Parts: sequence; structure tokens; C-alpha cells
Amino acid sequence: MIAADASGGAGVLDWVLRVVDWAVADWSHPGDPNRGILPRLLEHMRLAYGSILIGLIIALPLGLACVRWRPVYPPVLTGVNVLYAVPSIALFFLMLPYTGFSDWTAVVPLALYTLVILLPNVVDGLRQVPEHVRQAAVAMGFGPLRRLVFVETPVAVPVIIAGLRVASVATISMVSVASLVGLGGLGQLIVSEGFRRQFDAPIVVGIVLIVLLALATDAVLVVAQRLLTPWAHTGGGRTFRKKAVRAETAAAGDGTALEQGESP
Amino acid sequence: MITFEGAAKIYPDGTVAVAGLDLTVETGRTTVFVGPSGSGKTTSLRMINRMVEPTHGTIRIDGADIRDQDPALLRRSIGYVIQQAGLFPHRTILDNIATVPLLLGWNRRKARARAAELMELVGLEVSQAKRYPHQLSGGQQQRVGVARALAADPPVLLMDEPFSAVDPVVRAGLQEELLRLQQELHKTIVFVTHDIDEAVRLGDRIAVFRPGGELAQYDAPEHLLARPVDDFVESFVGYDRGVRRLSFFPARQLSLRQDVVFDTEDRVERARDVVEGDGEPWVLVVDENRAPLGWVDAAQLIDKPAGLTLGTLEMAPYGHTFDVATDSLRAALDAAVLSPAGRAVGVDDEGAVLGVVSQEDLGAAIWSVSE
Repeated sequence: MIAADASGGAGVLDWVLRVVDWAVADWSHPGDPNRGILPRLLEHMRLAYGSILIGLIIALPLGLACVRWRPVYPPVLTGVNVLYAVPSIALFFLMLPYTGFSDWTAVVPLALYTLVILLPNVVDGLRQVPEHVRQAAVAMGFGPLRRLVFVETPVAVPVIIAGLRVASVATISMVSVASLVGLGGLGQLIVSEGFRRQFDAPIVVGIVLIVLLALATDAVLVVAQRLLTPWAHTGGGRTFRKKAVRAETAAAGDGTALEQGESP
Repeated sequence: MITFEGAAKIYPDGTVAVAGLDLTVETGRTTVFVGPSGSGKTTSLRMINRMVEPTHGTIRIDGADIRDQDPALLRRSIGYVIQQAGLFPHRTILDNIATVPLLLGWNRRKARARAAELMELVGLEVSQAKRYPHQLSGGQQQRVGVARALAADPPVLLMDEPFSAVDPVVRAGLQEELLRLQQELHKTIVFVTHDIDEAVRLGDRIAVFRPGGELAQYDAPEHLLARPVDDFVESFVGYDRGVRRLSFFPARQLSLRQDVVFDTEDRVERARDVVEGDGEPWVLVVDENRAPLGWVDAAQLIDKPAGLTLGTLEMAPYGHTFDVATDSLRAALDAAVLSPAGRAVGVDDEGAVLGVVSQEDLGAAIWSVSE
């Protein structure tokens, strides 16, 4: 890093200004919509959000099935974990012959990776619905499907969103790896421009924007949870809030494992 | 009327939860299923709304076999109150109560209006309508549970240990409330508990279950306490069943003594005349409104000069009183046991003393009902 050999605050400031200058100059190129930082940022968001959304769309019915038919869960969870052990870079290259350089090459593996967090959260969320609540629903005359849709799933929402928060941060970080197959959004700033040119401004801008995107996404999810589950935190929330927080901590634990296990 | 005809639940591994139950639950009355854990009382209750399907026998509600109806539809026509209330945490109090009406297809406005009515009926503040269950105390949650069960006005109400998760003071309040509601609504209530006191308090009829899912005795509470059919029932209803049974006999049948009740302005020699007549060891002193002040020991009266008023003498506390019109013999006995004079003070609704019960009279009354 240049900052390291700059002596004193003036050197650091100088460096920061240089990075900012670069970012502003290269933000977008009106003549060429595919060049610049903004298109990379938008691509990053598209790949990350697409993966998370598809992951959630798979995790919900899969989780419901795992709760409904208990013996299904252990093999499915093992399968998801094994899949996660496959390095993402390998999966990207494996996808290439089928999907070429389309978004799917990045989205399919990333969506599968989110399952390792989302599936256990959906299952735990549904399982932590207290037995007396479930039985009351049966006794009131809810059929199995109505019970799932109107009672069990809403009660599981805080735990599912907790998982979604961890999964989105992990995915936003992992999108960068796909730049090795020509995708990867902001990752391309780091890989292609940063490494090749021996120039640190693209790397720094890439990292800062990825972190900001992760923070912003997390904030949106926190707000979404507040709006979706007013019952979980109004007043001095007792049981449910505690359970959600516990699941969140558990999910955060998974997240650490995920980052350590990040194979590429 | 709910009839069990040889209803049994035997699991594939041979475990017997309920062994051939024959029993009729009367319409408009409260029937309590009581027994230790593993006696099949809850299983029997859940057979009524098909949360548990019997393996043998038949259950009918007003003659109709419950198996002829779709389980979900059947359940919407039967109120159900569960232990710990089982409220839906993501729905407001109002929407929790409106659950069954909404399932039945009422429009939202009508369902909520009905829910608000019920909040009042069970003694909840309407201002709590928009709150969520976790913001309520355990006792309030259970009231919501009762309101929710009553929302669609079902003729039958099943209550599965509804008050066992709240503290004794709140439980007593909820029991009181249920008795009041039942006087108004006349539902066919089946109530499960493991607490014989609760059973005796709430039940018009009590079914005692024994381990192994057998019905040991089915009787009115006073008969159950007076004549348990066997050793199991006797030990289950408790060694003090004789005393508890006294709660079924009104205190107004007691003969009260008024001649040992004196005013503060009455003179010592008047009291002395009375106690010397029959050896009564205590006299009660009351104020101008006839509220009790305390007991005066007859031994104190002997050497006091004539002309002294009773109000100036030392008094022993009178303990607590019993209401002659509404209390039972049990309350009178309790008042006597706790009184330093060994006598109970009977009062009217305003707390004015009507008279005192001597130990002899109390004993005679208890003896007469024990036969």
C-alpha cells in the first residue's frame, strides 16, 4: 500500500484524495455504458440480490417440506453443506459450458450457497413456533395449509430475516469471486483493474463500495423486519424477541463459519 | 349432550391412553375431568374435537357421530382454551379473538366488533385491543384465550388445564370469572385439570380418571367428597375431603347467638349476667354500626367494678368473619379456627354482626351434614 510508506497525516490525506479523484473520474462514462464504477456496482447488486432472492424462493418450500417430513431434513442439510464445500470458483467454471457469460453462471452457485444459511433458519424458525400456539391453531379449526400460511410462517419471520441478513452479507462479499469468469460486479475493479495495473485505487474503491452495499442491505432488512413484525419488538418483548435474537446469534455463528470456509 | 360410548385410545405399541370410556356430559353444565398425569383426561377431552381420534368406540354430540364431520369444521363449532393460552403472537388481541369468526367467513368488521364485545365480557380493557399477546400478563392472556374460544358462540367449550400456568391468586380470579360467565352463558363446558380443588370449585359433575385411562368415579362434587368409591379416589380427593365438602353447605343454616354481642357502651355487669348464666367464656364487642371490634375474655369481667363500659376493656382480635347469606359452613369453620376465641363471627353484606357461632353449634351443624 502506498499509504504505508507515506509519512504523516499529509501523506494519508494525499492518498485518500487520489483514490477519490480516481473514483469520481471513473464513476461512469456517458459514451460507454459498460465502462466505469457505476455499471460494476449495479451488476454487483443484480447478481447479489438475484442470488439471495432465488435462494429464499428455494429455501422456503424446501424448509416447509423439511419441517413437514422430518426425516427429509438431515439428508437435505448434508447435501446443502456438501455443495457449500465445493469451491465457488470451481462451480463458476463448471457452469460456464451451460450458461456461458450470462448472469446465471454466477447466480446459480451463489443462490445454492445461500441455502446453507437460509434453509436451517427457515426450519428452525418454523420449529420454534411454540407447541401451544400450534395446537391452539389446530383446535381453532385451521387446516394444515392455512396453519402453515397464517400462523407458522408469520411467527417464523424474525428468524428467517435474521438468516437473510447473514446470507446477504456473505453473498454480497462472494459475488466478487465471479469476476474470475468475467462477472463479479465490483470484484472486477479488484481483480482485473487493481491487480493488473499494480494500482491500488480500484481495490480500495471496490472494497469500500462492497462494504457500504452490505451495510445498506443489512439496514434495509432491519427496517423490513421492524415493519413486517411489529409484534416482535413493541414494548418489552418477551419470549419471541429473545428467541429471534438467539436464532440471529446462531445464524451469525454460521456466518463466521461461512466466511472462514470460503473456499476460493 | 356429549356421549362417550366405549371410546378408547390404544396406541400401536399397546399403550393405553384411554380404556373404553362411557360417559355423558350434560348440556349447559360444567363437567370436570380430573386425575393424575397419564390418566387419559386430556386425551379424552381432545377426542371430542378430533384432535385425537379414538381407536375404538364412538363419541356423539347431540346424537351426531363426530366422525361424520370434517375435523376443521367440527373444531370451528367447538370452543377450545389451552394451557398457556396459545395466543398467536403475531396477531393483535382483537384479531386473536376474531380468529374463529374469520375462519367461518365473517367479514372483518363484524368479526372485530364481536371480538370487542367479548373483550368486555371477559373483563379486558378495550384499550388493549391493539396490543400484542406478549404485552399482556399471563392472567390477561388467558382471558383472551377464553374470549377467543367464545367468539363464534359455540355451544360446547373445551378447556384443557387453562389456569394451571398462572399464579394462585390470578387463578382464583379466573375461576371466579368462569363461574360468573357460565351463569350467564350456560355453555356445555368440559374442563380438564389435575387439581381436585379446582374441580370441586368449578364442576357440576366431576369425572375422576385413574392411571391407565380408566374412569374411576363420575359424580356430583359433594357426593364425590362424601362417598369416594375406592381407595384411589379417596386418596386423590385428599385426606381433608370432609372439611372441603363443607363448602357445599350454606352457613345460613347455623344458629347464631346474639345475646353475647354487646355495644361499647354496655356495662360490664350486663355481660357478666349473660356469661355467668351458661358459662360462655367470650363476649363480642361491636361499634355503633355493629361492626365487630374484638372479643372480651369472660374472666376479665369477674373483678371489674359495676358501671364500667365494655369499650374500655382489653379486647382480643376477632380474626375474620363469614358472610351468613353467601358463605359456606367451610368458611364459618375456618373463621372459628382462626379466631382466638374459637368462635366465628357471622356478618351481613354490610359487615354488621348478625351473631356468633359457638363451637357446639358449629360442631352440631357439621355433624348433621356429615351423615
